[in-house]
Amino acid sequence: MLVLRTLLFGPLHGYGIAKAIRANSKESLDIEFGSLYPALKRLELKGWISAKWETSEQNRRARYYRLTAAGRKQLHAEQSRWSEFVQAVAHVMGTTPEESK
Amino acid sequence: MPDWKYLWPPYRRAQEREMQDELRSIAQIAGRSEAGNLTRAAEQARAVRGWAWLENLWRDARYAVRLLLRQPGFTAVTVLSLGLGIGANAAIFSLIDRVLWRQLPVRAPESLTGIGTDQSYATFLQYHDRFGEAFEGVFATTGSTERDLSTGGEPVAGRVELVTGEYFPVLGVPAAIGRTILPDDDARAHPATVAVLSYPYWQRAFGGDPAVLGRTLRVGKAPYQIVGVAAPEFFGVTVGEAPDAWLPLSTIAAATPGNGNALDNPNISFLAVMGRLRPGITIERASAMLTPLAVQIQLARAKNAPERIRKQIESSTLKLTPAAQGLSTLRARFSKPLQVLFAMVAIGLLLVCVNVMGLQMARADERRRELNVRLAIGAGRWRIVRQLMTESLAISAAGGALGLAICRPAAAAVLSLAGGSARLPIEIDPKVLFFIAGIAIASALICGLIPAIRVTGTASAGALQQGSRTFTGARRRGIGPTIAAVQLALSMVLIAAAFLFAFSLDRLTRYDTGIVRSHLAVIEIDSSEAGYKGPQSAALNRRLLERLAAMNGVESVTFSNNGIYSTRNGNTPVTTDSFQPEPGPNRGAFFDNVGPRFFSTLGTRIMAGRDFDVRDTPASQKVAIINQQFANYFFAGQNPIGRSIYVERPRGGTPETYQVAGVVQDILSDVRRAPRRAFYLPQMQTESNMRSISLVVRTRVDPRALAADFRALIRAEEPALRVDRIDTADALLNRTLSLDRLIATLAFAFGVLAVILAAVGIYGLLAYNVARRTGEIGIRMALGATRGRVISMVFREVVFIAAGGIAVGIAAAAALGRLVAGLVFGMTPGDPAVYTCAAALLAVVASGAAWIPARRASRLDPMAALRNE
Repeated sequence: MLVLRTLLFGPLHGYGIAKAIRANSKESLDIEFGSLYPALKRLELKGWISAKWETSEQNRRARYYRLTAAGRKQLHAEQSRWSEFVQAVAHVMGTTPEESK
Repeated sequence: MPDWKYLWPPYRRAQEREMQDELRSIAQIAGRSEAGNLTRAAEQARAVRGWAWLENLWRDARYAVRLLLRQPGFTAVTVLSLGLGIGANAAIFSLIDRVLWRQLPVRAPESLTGIGTDQSYATFLQYHDRFGEAFEGVFATTGSTERDLSTGGEPVAGRVELVTGEYFPVLGVPAAIGRTILPDDDARAHPATVAVLSYPYWQRAFGGDPAVLGRTLRVGKAPYQIVGVAAPEFFGVTVGEAPDAWLPLSTIAAATPGNGNALDNPNISFLAVMGRLRPGITIERASAMLTPLAVQIQLARAKNAPERIRKQIESSTLKLTPAAQGLSTLRARFSKPLQVLFAMVAIGLLLVCVNVMGLQMARADERRRELNVRLAIGAGRWRIVRQLMTESLAISAAGGALGLAICRPAAAAVLSLAGGSARLPIEIDPKVLFFIAGIAIASALICGLIPAIRVTGTASAGALQQGSRTFTGARRRGIGPTIAAVQLALSMVLIAAAFLFAFSLDRLTRYDTGIVRSHLAVIEIDSSEAGYKGPQSAALNRRLLERLAAMNGVESVTFSNNGIYSTRNGNTPVTTDSFQPEPGPNRGAFFDNVGPRFFSTLGTRIMAGRDFDVRDTPASQKVAIINQQFANYFFAGQNPIGRSIYVERPRGGTPETYQVAGVVQDILSDVRRAPRRAFYLPQMQTESNMRSISLVVRTRVDPRALAADFRALIRAEEPALRVDRIDTADALLNRTLSLDRLIATLAFAFGVLAVILAAVGIYGLLAYNVARRTGEIGIRMALGATRGRVISMVFREVVFIAAGGIAVGIAAAAALGRLVAGLVFGMTPGDPAVYTCAAALLAVVASGAAWIPARRASRLDPMAALRNE
């Protein structure tokens, strides 16, 4: 989900995605590239992102990933699922020991 | 969803290249440390594509093949033994499929029904005209008959089948070229002498030449016009008989001279009648619909029967048999034997698998160190098991390929051993391929699974140090002894089978059939071309007897119409003064027209009265000689000599009267069949026509040496006589026992195999044990154990294994023995002699196999043994 979200704002190459997630989580999520790469492959296999070889700003060749239409839909679906999840957890955690005082 | 494109190697390589490129580009951009573990990333990514298991399998397979090629001895032994085992199983399986299961290659075989076998033409006509709503059509066939066929050159022995006009249309068999026999061809008023060839015969005799239409086929002396060739797969309705040509039944007088009146004589039953059910009619309904007709037919035949019999007929129902698989005498004869053979080859294969398992166990043990290293550095246990199983599968695959190659020749060999007259094309079809694949995989599992699991077990971890001494005794013997015991048990079953069938065959060949077989030759002559009838026939026979008796080396000569150990026979209703048998199929007796001194030449015991001799002329009192069964049935308790018997004539009228001149021992034409009532007439007196003459000659020397002289003499006497064959009585008897000989031969072969494998198994186990325990033995000997003690120590192991294996084997053999009771003659399968011999043999073999390692152990030099460790 994080990858899909990151790509919402534009195409990135693999390393760029890792950097972006780290930055956007304020350094708290540091994803190992070793785990990110297979995830990228899975998403690509499912057709939610597409990839193309392009040249980066520093004139280097890299494989850039972008979100597909299906990927966009998937992102929305996962986002709503995540919000529901967060609310549910909040409800559970919300009944704090204060209540039972 | 897996990415199917990935299976294509170039695609795979392109993907791999692209991944490496991408990772390299990331590394450049990110700097080495930042990008982290790229190897791991690559590995995980590969797993995502979902074909990792296939890649591993492929890699394991290549490794396995490389490893096996490096050990040619092991590989050769295992692949060869598995190949033979799988091939034998596949051969028997394909025979079973052909004989027992395969449906006829006709339209909708499931609606074919057998209405009756051994029907007369008159009966067939009744069914043909009045089958009504039950059937679409009805036809009859004579089955294959041997006739000489000629296509313009020399006559060659062949087979023809005479069929009624609806045969091909009802079966729905098309012609490959030309046309098939049609109802118009079979009109009694003007039968068309046309012939339809079988496809194989067309290929053989005419080379598949389409210009065969219109040419002439001579059946015996009669010309037939070839109008077509049947569809390639079609072989008739009887499995195992593949005629070369089909002819219309109405032409029977031309095709088989001498049988001209077969169609008109209601007593001659030679047709098989079949029909095709109308759609929607079940076999039970058809049976119900046709029963009134069947009852009517039977009542008409039993005109003079007492009321009780008529009531019986009226309440009977017509029995229709499904004929989707055709008629087959093969099936009845071969069904049980094929199943027994299948059991034997299955056990044989199992034995081979256990043997191979032992070999793989030993091999895996040798690799223990390598495997433990791999386990130690983190390879999963099941990963290694999978790799070992791949090796096992590689061996089985090779064995399966070998088995496929020998399947057809093996099946052909079994068929020829079974008495060669069966014509059965053997092809490999998908069923057989699946079968081979199945048992190859099964044997891979049996052979490989247990060794693989055992050798990767945690208990073996301690053996990481090669040659570590464990002198804590050999209590932990492992699975070796169990494997050896299982081998012995399986071998025991096969060896017991070998003894059982050998004994049975021995009893069969020694049984008193009423004929003394030594130095007895039988000459079969076909006299239809010479056309001798009546008195000339008797005169001819007399001339032949005189000339043969005058030959050097001949003791006595006689002749018979039916022959010795043959299937030819005549049956006719008989009555006597005191006894009127009930009407029905069983009310007659078999008969034969024979020459003078028939019984003394054959060596048959004369129980009362006399043999035929020169006194019996057309002018003297008409006599007959009866056998014991006849005497018991018709003259129970009384003296038959001088009494009269009345034999019905074929065309009706007053019966013939004969006076009983003698009573003889029962002569058996088939050892397994109970003797039947029979009487004999002197042909010199009856002057009956004899189309086939079997001259029986008792010789002073080996009959085979005189065969050429016999032929020359007969040809000199009457060139138109055709000598079909000259055999010894022993050979003729053996031909009737061909099935038993087949089973006994195969059982013997498997018994030998079992002995060899048992010996190898015991030897291997003990040699291995001794090698393993060399150090221990060395210490024992150093501490004072004598040679004898060492030998007995080794033998003690064998005794337990052998006792266990043989006991289990006897139990298994006894259980299976019950199933073969029908195939065994003169004894029961549980006969103790069989088990005693088998157990004794196996014990001797096991001891012999154990002797060599035991002796080697006792000869160990203790110092050398200890030093070698």
